[in-house]
Amino acid sequence: MNTITVSAKDNPAGHPLPQLRGGQLSWQGRFEAMASPCEILLDGVNRRDAEQALAFAARETWRLERTFSRYVSGNPVDRINRGKGEPVTVDDEMALMLDYAAQCHDLSDGRFDITSGVLRRAWRFDGSSHLPEQEETDALLDLVGWDKLSWQRPQLILPEGMEIDFGGIGKEYAVDRVLLDLKQSLPEGSSVLVNFGGDLACSGPRTSGKAWIVGVEDHQKLSGRSGTLSLYCGALATSGDSRRYLLKNGVRYSHILDPRTGWPVPDAPHSVTVAAPTCTLAGMLATFAMLEGAEAEHFLEQQDVQFWVQR
Amino acid sequence: MQLIDHSNNSKSKTVGRALAAATCALLGVHATGSLAKGQPGEWDVETALLVYSETDDRVQAAEPVISATRNFDGERKLNLKLVADTLTGASPSGATPSALPQTYTSPSGNGSYEIAPGEAPLDDTFKDTRVAVSANWEAPINRDYAYSVGAYGSKEYDYLSTAVNASLSRYLNNKNTTLTGGLSLGVDLVDPVGGAPVGLSRMPLNNNKSQADFDQEFAATRDSDDTKTMVDALFGVTQVINRQTLMQFNYGISYSSGYLTDPYKILSVIDDASGSNYGGNLVGGDGNPVYLYEQRPDTRLKHSLYWQTKYMLGNGDVMDGSYRFMIDDWGITSHTLDLKYRWQLGKSYLEPHFRYYLQSEADFYKRYLTASEYNSGAPVMTDASADYRLGEMTGLTFGAKWGYRFDDDRELAIRAEYLIQTNDGDQGFGSLASQDLYPDTNAMWLQLSYSF
Amino acid sequence: MPDSRLFYRPLRQAQRVLMPIAFLAATLLTAGCSNLGVKPWERDLLANPDMQLTVSGVDAGLDDHIYFSKEASSGGRGFGGGGCGCN
Repeated sequence: MNTITVSAKDNPAGHPLPQLRGGQLSWQGRFEAMASPCEILLDGVNRRDAEQALAFAARETWRLERTFSRYVSGNPVDRINRGKGEPVTVDDEMALMLDYAAQCHDLSDGRFDITSGVLRRAWRFDGSSHLPEQEETDALLDLVGWDKLSWQRPQLILPEGMEIDFGGIGKEYAVDRVLLDLKQSLPEGSSVLVNFGGDLACSGPRTSGKAWIVGVEDHQKLSGRSGTLSLYCGALATSGDSRRYLLKNGVRYSHILDPRTGWPVPDAPHSVTVAAPTCTLAGMLATFAMLEGAEAEHFLEQQDVQFWVQR
Repeated sequence: MQLIDHSNNSKSKTVGRALAAATCALLGVHATGSLAKGQPGEWDVETALLVYSETDDRVQAAEPVISATRNFDGERKLNLKLVADTLTGASPSGATPSALPQTYTSPSGNGSYEIAPGEAPLDDTFKDTRVAVSANWEAPINRDYAYSVGAYGSKEYDYLSTAVNASLSRYLNNKNTTLTGGLSLGVDLVDPVGGAPVGLSRMPLNNNKSQADFDQEFAATRDSDDTKTMVDALFGVTQVINRQTLMQFNYGISYSSGYLTDPYKILSVIDDASGSNYGGNLVGGDGNPVYLYEQRPDTRLKHSLYWQTKYMLGNGDVMDGSYRFMIDDWGITSHTLDLKYRWQLGKSYLEPHFRYYLQSEADFYKRYLTASEYNSGAPVMTDASADYRLGEMTGLTFGAKWGYRFDDDRELAIRAEYLIQTNDGDQGFGSLASQDLYPDTNAMWLQLSYSF
Repeated sequence: MPDSRLFYRPLRQAQRVLMPIAFLAATLLTAGCSNLGVKPWERDLLANPDMQLTVSGVDAGLDDHIYFSKEASSGGRGFGGGGCGCN
């Protein structure tokens, strides 16, 4: 096992340095980002390429984390959230992300909304029975709504008090971005799998032709098999976390909030896992399914994808 | 297969498909891993070669085209186009056929050409090559507005054409309605071979006179080269009707002024005095037949209304129909009906095409002038033209296009069209009545194109 | 040079009929237009390249040029053409 050097400039958050394990032509690289364990599996590459690939993956993931995180002061998201209603000019990468958020908002009939993050001030999903007051959530609704901001490439005008939050897209997007970049720079005949805390994508089967075996968190209990999943190509993403909910008078309130009401989507599943060609798409389909509440399975049945819904 | 299905099934499906497409746009990659058409940073190129041929030794042309579009971020795009055409062959000069052989002076004044008895008078004394370039830029201004600007230039040895245009579009109703207003300004410079002839002056013929006399006569009928300016305005509404139907309505107005005459077209003067030459060419003082250079008004105002509909059927086939009505102050009204049906066949398609065109004659259209109208060199009218393209006309075009799509970027296509144009009008009198004054024009063109 | 005739009589008559119709059509269109249309997720068919109003600019340009040199009418669909000595 060896540690990969990444300069402090590329790692201002001070994450532990990435570790590389393996031998011959099979490698496993690990690092931390976006509050998740991140893993890069490489097949058919030599040590030098594996080291460079892992270093690149860590740098790029940390860069995306810095760019799209709500918590990094001075980054594009922070500048937008502190904009106080003044126009903020964004670069192409942020512009593409905002265009995507706009489209997801349209396609979900307003249920997917990156301005809905402020609702977390009223909701604490700690398994208790503490529900907020209607007045609290109504007051916050004034600060929620994609239609309230103005997005015209390359300028975004966010009214004071509102916030944008890419939590629902950021991790899956990072998986796809890192995978696409590695696919382009690694030699022909190699294959890569990128796994950020259960949201993962691969470029194709292993060089032997066999599938990747992926370890999955226990509580998800996918398709009866405990603990592992076989992936030939494409991506997998999960929405939901069965530990975050509120329970009062026998009614379970999931942590998926409907930004139009400020309250949880009724009858939302505990978790939804979707397999799709890209991680971003898999993640967004899973999110859309959760937002459909009782209709989650029905929505996913229409999509020609494999999915697992846990209620 | 139900298309207008408001149940949740099809809505979920279309949401999923739209989401997949949006995700591809975000990641900048198509599912196959290659950059799809229309993605920023790539040139989409369309190349084509057109070969055009009219029956009876008339015009033949070959026209290569290359058009390249580059997409930039934020829905901005640039298009550059280059067209060249080489033209050979003859076109009707406007004179009438006769029972006797006829000789005409070529436009340069340096030669003449002969037409046999009963033959349609065609002027084939020049071959021509034209090159045209155009550039067009489109970009959004904000969420509701977009604009475009363009420029055009073309040159052939006797004609220079330049134009600029600009338009503004406004989106309404969630981009279901688009209102567009556009303006175009053009200036053409006409520099005909031999100089522009004085309108309705007599074409000098070198028979029966000395070269010096002919040259003097020729020089007297010349005018300087001239310009033509055009202002066009267009107002349009594009409206999404429903999921399968799109329509466009345009109103256009066009004003041109300057030298609008065709410097190479002439009219025959026919003897209407009773006697042996009734209906034959009027013979002038020098013993030669009288032919006059044509003359058109120096302004023209046109109005047009255009309506197009596109409709997609359940199986993916597309119907395309349009109708255009045009009316102008030269007295011409025209109707154009254009229908296409694109029949999807997996990776390829077949698209039959039909076009119907009807045109009325211009007020100053005269198949020939009579000697009385010619009035010994002081014609009673200010404008007259025998150009068959200003006369009563019906055009039927039948065609088909077959295309093969290799993938989202590359397509090979072949298109063939056949035009049958018939004309009508005054049938003449005396010996002229036995001539065919309105021969059909049949043309065929074949186009091979490749886009990548 | 002969005098120009801007408004020939038949044109004026036609205009008396045409202009009100065109104006009425435009008003009806913009008034009725807000009821027509599709939601963003229903644009899948319209996004198909075969549903563009002009599918091939090259084909349209070549045909427009041919008909411009053989007939007295031109345009209607938009700009992007250009002059030549052929008419």
